[in-house]
Amino acid sequence: MVNLILKFVSCCRAADMRISTAEVIDCLSQLEIMDTCEEPLFQTILRANFAKSRREQGVFNRLYHLFFHEMPSGLNPESLFSEEIQAGQSQAPEPSMNELLRQLKESQDDTHHTQNQGDTLDRALMAFLGGSPLPFIEAVQKIHTQDEQASPLFKSNLGQLSSRLDIMLRINRLKTQMVQFLGSNNAWAEKDVPSVTAAVNRRLDKALEFLNTEPRPDNAGLRETGSHTLHYKTLGQIPFSNLTLEEIKAVKEIIDKLVRKLEEITSRRFSAASRGVVDVKKTIQRSVKYLGVPVEIVHKAKPLRKGKIVALCDVSGSVWSTARFMLNILYSLKTCFSRVKSHVFIDRTFDVTSFFMSHDANEAIKRILNDTRINYNARTDYGMAFQQFRDHHFQELDKKTTLIIIGDARSNYYNPREPLLEAMRDRCRRLIWLNPEQEKFWGTGDSEMLKYRDHCNEARACGNLNQLMAFIEALVL
Amino acid sequence: MLFKSVADVQTRMEQAGYIPSQEISTIVFLAQETQKPVLIEGPAGVGKTELAKCIAACLERQMIRLQCYEGLDESKALYEWAYAKQLLYTQMLKEKINDVISDTASLAQAVDEIARHEDAFFSDRFLQTRPLLSAITSPDPVVLLIDEVDKSDPEFEAFLLELLSDFQVTIPELGTIAAKSRPFVVLTSNNYRDMSDALKRRCIHLYIDYPAIETEKEIVRLKIPGIEERLLDKVVQTVARIRQLDLKKKPCISETLDWARSLMILQQDEITEDVIFRTLNTLCKHKTDYGVVRANIGQLIKA
Ligand SMILES: Nc1ncnc2c1ncn2[C@@H]1O[C@H](COP(=O)(O)OP(=O)(O)O)[C@@H](O)[C@H]1O
Ligand SMILES: [Mg+2]
Repeated sequence: MVNLILKFVSCCRAADMRISTAEVIDCLSQLEIMDTCEEPLFQTILRANFAKSRREQGVFNRLYHLFFHEMPSGLNPESLFSEEIQAGQSQAPEPSMNELLRQLKESQDDTHHTQNQGDTLDRALMAFLGGSPLPFIEAVQKIHTQDEQASPLFKSNLGQLSSRLDIMLRINRLKTQMVQFLGSNNAWAEKDVPSVTAAVNRRLDKALEFLNTEPRPDNAGLRETGSHTLHYKTLGQIPFSNLTLEEIKAVKEIIDKLVRKLEEITSRRFSAASRGVVDVKKTIQRSVKYLGVPVEIVHKAKPLRKGKIVALCDVSGSVWSTARFMLNILYSLKTCFSRVKSHVFIDRTFDVTSFFMSHDANEAIKRILNDTRINYNARTDYGMAFQQFRDHHFQELDKKTTLIIIGDARSNYYNPREPLLEAMRDRCRRLIWLNPEQEKFWGTGDSEMLKYRDHCNEARACGNLNQLMAFIEALVL
Repeated sequence: MLFKSVADVQTRMEQAGYIPSQEISTIVFLAQETQKPVLIEGPAGVGKTELAKCIAACLERQMIRLQCYEGLDESKALYEWAYAKQLLYTQMLKEKINDVISDTASLAQAVDEIARHEDAFFSDRFLQTRPLLSAITSPDPVVLLIDEVDKSDPEFEAFLLELLSDFQVTIPELGTIAAKSRPFVVLTSNNYRDMSDALKRRCIHLYIDYPAIETEKEIVRLKIPGIEERLLDKVVQTVARIRQLDLKKKPCISETLDWARSLMILQQDEITEDVIFRTLNTLCKHKTDYGVVRANIGQLIKA
């Protein structure tokens, strides 16, 4: 049993689940307590120890099924629940399948002697056939997380697709090879051939399925907003991108008012809070000076409660009109947070914090728009922007940071790289996505919003004044 | 009395008014056997808090609840010195304090003298215990419910982690206090933010989802004993269908109960479009969700 669990854990880890040794030990001791072969119980115990959030349960369930139900019992002698056995499907006796695999491997080794990358994949597939899914899971995970080449001349979003295609082709080739091999080899007893072929094909199909379906995490904690109070009837509902110059002025005034109001509320609250609790020891010690009368009351210092903000803004096209209001507000409210950092991106990220440090918000925004280092003609590429953010700014994220991404998630069909977004979520306190488009457009055309939404703690449509005000109030208060 | 087996958990919980799934009973039993905290995740209203209360009832233990919120700190969760009382005492004992320092020659000596008596002011008498300290100093084991831990700050989570790993706390003025008995710890989370890996590692994880149809029927039967089977079936089926819709907030178990009760009061035994519209406010709390329900009404009332 121990070996079986350890093998399963390696597969989970290969799929990027974080399982500690302590958790493996916990799991084993719990299995001992329950002393069971009943599957639901077995699965419950494994899941309770290895997938410690709802988000991870999807990945866990898939691996669990693959490992305990699809893999042959011959190589996992203790795999009690294999469907192949239960359903009696497996007419192909494992020994003859193993024999086939061995011979197939020999013939493969004969044909190419070199040990290159391709061989690794082929070997992973053979191992998968033989009941050890680990190398294959590793290979698939690598595809999900591989970086695209950031070449300025020729940009491709095909890295992931082509790696995937490569594996698919290999699977097909393996199927053909097997048929040929069986056909040309009369050492095989006639009767075994169809069932062995079927068994191998079935397993290869599983490999294909595993490659081509990604489990969507169940984002159970996602916050979405319901009805907003309508602060401002007409002006509040006009999309930011449609505002006339005059309306922009009006919106700015309203925002200024809101900012002042919020500042007032928070400064009152923080001045009370920052006093903190009474430090009794010091107070009594000082009271000695005054013959035991506590004249000076000493408070323990207490830091501000609202944490750091990192904003990541898409500044292409229509998003910019929303992003500029958002940046404006964040910097007007910077006293409410212990730090505000901001980045803009189109196809690469650009740290604009310093603009806001040395100028007021409006001036900073003007300068950002005129900065020649930002290529406003580029095509938006969220995946690449996330990758760059990871490479250069990941250290800005910590458990006290709220990351706010402002963008329409329209990424021109480039690779969306949502695992990068998940990695960001893992590092910060909360990940909030503000989309200037209304929800009914999410996921249409080249919008990757539904994929991204799976990794957010909160996702909101934020394209007009009412929505912006509702968000800001929720954020600050 | 401790649970004897998973089946025992099941029966005793039901007697205490809680219908556990197989998974819930298993995890509760394992948590008891391994003395590990349970971290319960799940949407609002699926019975996370209720589960902790029920465990306490079954084990005949006191339940101590710590409700978490942003800004919660040790002084609210663990202990605080009753400084008003301390000050009052210094006032009342002014004479005595004067006696203590009357023989001293210098200010420095007076301070030393006072410091020697400092301990009197940092004793149990002036200690206000908060939930966490009560839980570990209780002579009889308790059930400690740390509710909505996702609302607390990361600093507090780190502190909690320390407490949950060795069940002892250090109060600078008093020294280290070790738990007299191991509490049965239940943490609940609504997923406002993700909990740290370190905290998760300490716990057994349990996700409670909306109940399966049969389980929910049992819960309603338990809470509304008089309900007719035919109505019960319709109510639970309809709620399950409403939960399938893309709503901001899905109706939870207590909303099923409220809805069933109001249908009984209105003496409705058919669920028609009209009935749903008239009673929708017991099921959905968000205005925008009303629209979604209306748009899908046909799907909800089909047989
Ligand atoms: N399994 C169950 N058995 C009996 N009652 C339940 C069950 N689950 C939920 N309830 C009912 O739902 C109500 C809400 O549960 P609560 O514990 O407050 O939810 P949560 O803490 O998850 O938000 C409880 O008061 C209880 O009446
Ligand atoms: Mg609760």
